[in-house]
Amino acid sequence: MKKFIYLLLITFFCGCKEELDLQPLDKISPATAFKTEKDLQLYVNSFYTILPTGNEIVRGDALSDYLVGKAPDSYIVPNSFTSSMASGWSWGDLRNINYFLEHYQEAAISEEAKNHYAGIARFFRGMFYYNMVKRFGDVPWYDKTMDVTDTDIYKPRDSRTLVMDNVLADLNFASANIRATKDNTASQITKWVALAFKSRVCLFEGTFRKYHPELSLAGTADKWLTDASQAAEDVIKSNQYKINKTGTLDMSYRNLFVSETPLADEIILAAVNNKSMRVFNDANWYYTSATYGNRLSLIKTFVNTYLNKDGSPFTNRPDYNSVFFTEEVKNRDLRLKQTIRMGNYMRDGVAAPPDFTYTYTGYQPYKFTLDSKATDGVAENYNSLPIIRYAEVLLNYAEAKAELHAFTATEWNTTIKVLRERAGIENAPFPVAADPYLKQNYFPNMEDPALLEIRRERGIELVMEGFRYDDLKRWKAGKLLEMEYNGLYVPAMNVPYDLNEDGKPDVSFVTITPATKVPGVYYFLIDNTQSKLSEGTKGNLVWLINFQRNFEDYQYFYPIPYNEIVLNPELKQNTGW
Amino acid sequence: MNLKSTKMQCCFLPKQLCLVLITWLICQVSYAQQAQNITGKISSESGEGLPGVTILVKGTNAGTATDAAGNYALSVPNGSGTLVVSFIGFLTQEVTINNRTAINITMQPDVKALEEVVVVGYGTQKKVNLTGAVDQVGREVLENRPMPNLTRGLQGVIPNLNIRMTDGKPTRGAEYNVRGATSIGAGGNALILIDGVPGDPNLLNPNDVESVSVLKDAASAAIYGARGSFGVILITTKRPVQDKAQVNYSASYSLNEHTIRPEFVTDGYTWAKTFDDAFYSWNDYNQHPAKANSVFPVSLDYLDELKKRQEDPSLPKVDINPTTGEYVYYGSTDWMKELYADKTASREHNVSVSGSGNKADYYISGRYNSQDGIFRYNPDKYKMYNLRAKGSVQAFDWLRVENDIAFTQMSYFMPILNHPSNTPVWRRISDEAFPISMLQNPDGTITENGAIVFGSFLSGNNHSDLNQVQIRNTSRFVASFLDKKLRVSGDFTFQRTNDVETRLYTPVPYSKKPGVMLERGENKMNETDEKTNYLATNIYTEYEHNIGKHTVKGLVGYNYESSSLRSRFVERDGLLNPLLPDFSLMNGQNFTLRGGGSEWAIMGGFFRLNYDFADKYLLEFNGRYDGTSKFPQEQQFGFFPSASAGWRVSEEPFWQNVGTIVPEFKLRASYGSLGNGNIDPYQFLETMSVNKLNMVINGTRPDYTQKPNVIPAGLTWEKSTSVNLGTDIGFVNNRLTTSFDWYTRYTTDMFTVGLPLPAVFGSAVPKGNYADLETKGWELSLGWQDEIATAKPIKYNFRFILSDNVSHITKFNNPQGLINTYYEGMRLGDIWGFETDGYFQDEADIAEHADQSYIRVAAANKPLPGDIKFKDLNNDGVIGIGKNTLDDPGDQKVIGNSTPRFQYGFNTGADWNNFFFSAFLQGIGKRDFWPGTDNSLIWGPYNRPYSWHPKDVVENMWSPENPDAYFPRLRGYTALNARAQLVLPSDKYLQNVAYIRLKNLTFGYNLPQQLISKVRMTNAKIFFTGQNLWVYSPMYKNIKTMDPEVIEGSDPDINPDNRNSSNGMSYPMLKTYTLGINITF
Repeated sequence: MKKFIYLLLITFFCGCKEELDLQPLDKISPATAFKTEKDLQLYVNSFYTILPTGNEIVRGDALSDYLVGKAPDSYIVPNSFTSSMASGWSWGDLRNINYFLEHYQEAAISEEAKNHYAGIARFFRGMFYYNMVKRFGDVPWYDKTMDVTDTDIYKPRDSRTLVMDNVLADLNFASANIRATKDNTASQITKWVALAFKSRVCLFEGTFRKYHPELSLAGTADKWLTDASQAAEDVIKSNQYKINKTGTLDMSYRNLFVSETPLADEIILAAVNNKSMRVFNDANWYYTSATYGNRLSLIKTFVNTYLNKDGSPFTNRPDYNSVFFTEEVKNRDLRLKQTIRMGNYMRDGVAAPPDFTYTYTGYQPYKFTLDSKATDGVAENYNSLPIIRYAEVLLNYAEAKAELHAFTATEWNTTIKVLRERAGIENAPFPVAADPYLKQNYFPNMEDPALLEIRRERGIELVMEGFRYDDLKRWKAGKLLEMEYNGLYVPAMNVPYDLNEDGKPDVSFVTITPATKVPGVYYFLIDNTQSKLSEGTKGNLVWLINFQRNFEDYQYFYPIPYNEIVLNPELKQNTGW
Repeated sequence: MNLKSTKMQCCFLPKQLCLVLITWLICQVSYAQQAQNITGKISSESGEGLPGVTILVKGTNAGTATDAAGNYALSVPNGSGTLVVSFIGFLTQEVTINNRTAINITMQPDVKALEEVVVVGYGTQKKVNLTGAVDQVGREVLENRPMPNLTRGLQGVIPNLNIRMTDGKPTRGAEYNVRGATSIGAGGNALILIDGVPGDPNLLNPNDVESVSVLKDAASAAIYGARGSFGVILITTKRPVQDKAQVNYSASYSLNEHTIRPEFVTDGYTWAKTFDDAFYSWNDYNQHPAKANSVFPVSLDYLDELKKRQEDPSLPKVDINPTTGEYVYYGSTDWMKELYADKTASREHNVSVSGSGNKADYYISGRYNSQDGIFRYNPDKYKMYNLRAKGSVQAFDWLRVENDIAFTQMSYFMPILNHPSNTPVWRRISDEAFPISMLQNPDGTITENGAIVFGSFLSGNNHSDLNQVQIRNTSRFVASFLDKKLRVSGDFTFQRTNDVETRLYTPVPYSKKPGVMLERGENKMNETDEKTNYLATNIYTEYEHNIGKHTVKGLVGYNYESSSLRSRFVERDGLLNPLLPDFSLMNGQNFTLRGGGSEWAIMGGFFRLNYDFADKYLLEFNGRYDGTSKFPQEQQFGFFPSASAGWRVSEEPFWQNVGTIVPEFKLRASYGSLGNGNIDPYQFLETMSVNKLNMVINGTRPDYTQKPNVIPAGLTWEKSTSVNLGTDIGFVNNRLTTSFDWYTRYTTDMFTVGLPLPAVFGSAVPKGNYADLETKGWELSLGWQDEIATAKPIKYNFRFILSDNVSHITKFNNPQGLINTYYEGMRLGDIWGFETDGYFQDEADIAEHADQSYIRVAAANKPLPGDIKFKDLNNDGVIGIGKNTLDDPGDQKVIGNSTPRFQYGFNTGADWNNFFFSAFLQGIGKRDFWPGTDNSLIWGPYNRPYSWHPKDVVENMWSPENPDAYFPRLRGYTALNARAQLVLPSDKYLQNVAYIRLKNLTFGYNLPQQLISKVRMTNAKIFFTGQNLWVYSPMYKNIKTMDPEVIEGSDPDINPDNRNSSNGMSYPMLKTYTLGINITF
């Protein structure tokens, strides 16, 4: 009893105000978060979420000139995209980086270590702003965090030159200060990652300024191109990376995209997926579901650019547009059979010809998908996907050099030729004549034969990896997005065709599904509303004829979300939106 | 226990003490006379002898009191006098002696007096003296109604105590809301106290409950300060019976079935044809499906084959594909039949032992409740054990000490799916269980679709085990001084709650080819362990003084509470043997160990002052100075006062004339302001949490931290101010009683989002005290009790309650007037949508109509006859949402409101000749419901073409032959894809989910006394109860697949993040038939 009263009294008298000052138990506070190197590492880990995820890479080229799916991206369908549908104006990552840059000096560690982490932060800030500038053009530059009363929240946009100069400064700081040890897990930001990325950014900026004279920045293009070639050269000269040629040639390209462990000889940075840690992408589900994915396929105009095995253009043969699929895919650049389903491709030991349940053109990509059906209906693909790889650095180097008119057979032999050799192409001499097919279908104003070949190579080597739309923008080739979506050649209607030469017919093109069907045959409806054959009852399959597509110059800059213009009228919308 | 002690238990003074005193006094003054001796027995209606009844000879000082058995002996001067027999809680009787020497008297309970005492904050109050809005029900509303937890029993019994049970899961609790919308910022629910200390009603033994009192207005709740801003529920547990020991045992056995069993198409071909049609139509009649969702291949050939098999049932249901060697299924599977057992049982046993003597009393109770699960394979299982031991000792004549300890253990086993989405089982069934697929292969192995759906139930070792243990002890004392005018009370409570949930995932074996086994799913186990330590103490003093007609009461007290939560989450994969789920028998590389915790503390000083003049003019003041750890130092404390007044008009002289018809008429008014400190702890501090990245860096998934939240510049209490006007009226000898209250509650400075900032700010705009809300409502209760005088009287009663409230936003940061969030002037619950104008008749109709391309009907979006025609309300020739603002809502308007309105309950009971009957109807009078996106119970094939097809839907689809069907032209995905015609809310498919439900119906029989007294029982009854026996909702005109109460969204327990749509994918509501007994010794 006494004890009880005693307890009561204690609670009563201790119930003074201090009792109410309680601190969080399971969270840290800014005062304790920046003390040691481990603290800085813990914080910079959060920046990695800026990198594209496996799923983003899988979908990376959904808007491009060479892929077509269920429906065109609304961005290029007239009158269907407005600024109120715009997205991507998200600035949380920047605040996160700037907060770090405002605090990392508090750590009691060596300058070298501080600069290493500051370098990583600035690498990511460079990446953040590069993405912003690519998307919106001019954007406001912030190198601080703001409180709610800061008037800079309402400032207008800064010029592209200011922002990109700052991006370059960030990347220069990053490549000078991030530690140089090569990362064989291809998952961390190193000096080499920073340099490789710098070559990408500088090539983008240099070519963008060069091919967009309306910005009046063409005079500064060469400076950026020089930086691009220099950064690429630094990576090349480091001798840390090489083009992967392990295994047989007809798998050495594909293995880059289906291996669980990134092939770190070539892959500089990857979105690492891992089965035992259950970090996955959903490539199989995305590419083998009629409803879940966008059912993307390559179009024939692009597939035509794959060279013959002997190094000659496939489009040199006069009937290049009317050979049947089985004939067409033979003796080509080995990357073709490592990119689309063809020939004796098997899944789970069963022949897997192009499946018109998932493809609309016949050129069904499987670059990122695994050969087992086990992950078809679930997001459990454990193949790591490259974010930056050495092949890109070679392509960046070649293109920058060529744009600078400093591209000779020497550069050719260390870049494009290396890639073509890996693709099993027997002859890859330095080009002397412009390929008429590329000129006619892609780059009519391009006279430089080497540059044309570099662009061909870039398209093929990096197909579907998320580069294409950016490339079209910087080359000012957005009109290519209006290209006809064509598919394989159909010699006749109502004939079941065997696409993989296993003796079993796979697809028949019909206007009406026949009453008696051949088992295993997919009947593709030619309704002349959505799909047609280029010559009526035969010819190339043409898909999505019911959609008009349009890409105008103003679309090189994406609109700022409507709401943001309302909140800050100083921002001013990009012209045309 | 009889009714008398039920009602009186709230008094703090042991009644028996008073009686002893009175008797003693009477004995002192009575003096012997030669005259006549009278003996007899005074008993209650049930025949029990009443001890301590006062018997006086009228006009004299002579008198006595009954002994423990109710017997008395009295000497009277002569045989012509009158005896006055009185006893608290009973009507005083006058009996003429008439020269009799033996007079036995049966006392009649005084109904009015019994109703008198109501539990209020830190004490009790005579009901007639109440000035605030307080409502109380006794344990009778919970009797003869077995229930897994108390919350289920309180739904609909008190007006404006709004409890929504969102599904039938036995573990489902609910938020206790009093009087409607509270705060759109911090939120807030009623404060629930068990015997004066906050507690969890779901862990309480419903049989231990004596009364439940609800303090609704600010004046009555003010004494609880910041925690009582949205009402207080006071649950009082039973007290020991007086002066004797009593043992009570009750048991019941119930059978449960579902209130609604939706009827789905189960014939394989019929289903497949509709599936194909729905898919084909969405794709503009261009393309047939190749798969039913993720893995089941279909084709036109397959469809033909299905048709063949429908026409010729002798053909096998499973074939082998000659090319692949895999099974081909031609099923007609009724998946619901596979999922659910037909009927399931539940049972309850409850024992209580109680008693009291001169110096001490005790109450001990134990309860076991279990409910078998609804599933056919590896069903869920609910078990709850309650134990309570309470006792008090009169240590000195001025001090009484009590201790009350309660132990609760709840366990719930639930099978779960081994699927990455972690959704409840109904979601996967609706997505992957096609009638054409099957659960098992001919060789007994599970099929691939079976494995996705609920193969994990069949294969076992995929389950969640929830264990909740709570120990709670309260010690209290009451010390009385100054002739009991001054009382000091104190209590100290500690409570330890431990929630542990273990989830086990084992891959589900399945087969696609004879002889080849595959597996699906993860192999892992995790455990969440949460421990909460809670301390509370109260100490308070009351003083009461009468001078003539003036009565003054005062109360001053202090309260301190603190709570500390610690949690731990452990997960690892690579179970070596699923039958031995232990973390030491796992070898996976993937493991997580996470901690967590939070603390809060509050303290407050409070007072109450009551003044009444002649029980006629009543005044009350309450106040509390409250502090909480959830605010920054300079804002921690707040003072919250309130005042209320009452006028018992019926006590005025001028009322005499109507007094016989309306004996009780009281007017009440109150005003008060309370704070709401109901926000999460640490909101005012910059914090940085540490989490695991969902990416692999350098061979691991590292932890990371990031920028802290931006904190508000100032953060202070939300305020809730309320005005209450009420009246209590008793008619016809108080047989009809009624109360009506009208109130307005202003919730101001609500903790909500700040003014939108440009996105370059880079962080969520800090919340602050930015918004205001106004709630207006009223509540009515009507009661009637009477008996029909026949040879064996029929007693009966009714009680009807009805309440309503409406809330408007009066301030909110939404300068653009966006209608997809709150805006000033908005009525909470408003549903914006389109008006429709039937279906398109023909091509000309489509061509003439406004441009409707905003609304999608198909992939290429070409409308056809039978698609829904939307009205161009703003006549701009285009159907759309404009800027989605108040100024430019396009063609949208408010089409309905989702707030439940006019909630009511109707209770009736009767007893006659030992038979008793009661019925309880409950419902809501008005509520609109927009069936969310992805609701396949309502949309069927309009949602996902391959989801389940309710018969009502497929038989009611538009076709040229059936142009007036409820559903439009069949188009798959139009209830799923963005902007599709059934995704956008429209008046046509807005459902009226008002309902009336027969919650409870009981018949019982009290065994006759002669019979049971032979086995020394004092009471024995047997009863039959049905719960949720019947329900009607206007929704049933078109939709019969959902229970109108289970519309809140899918079961949140497995994956709380996956609750977005109101799709009813939840544990079904149960209908229960119970047989029970109740015996008292």
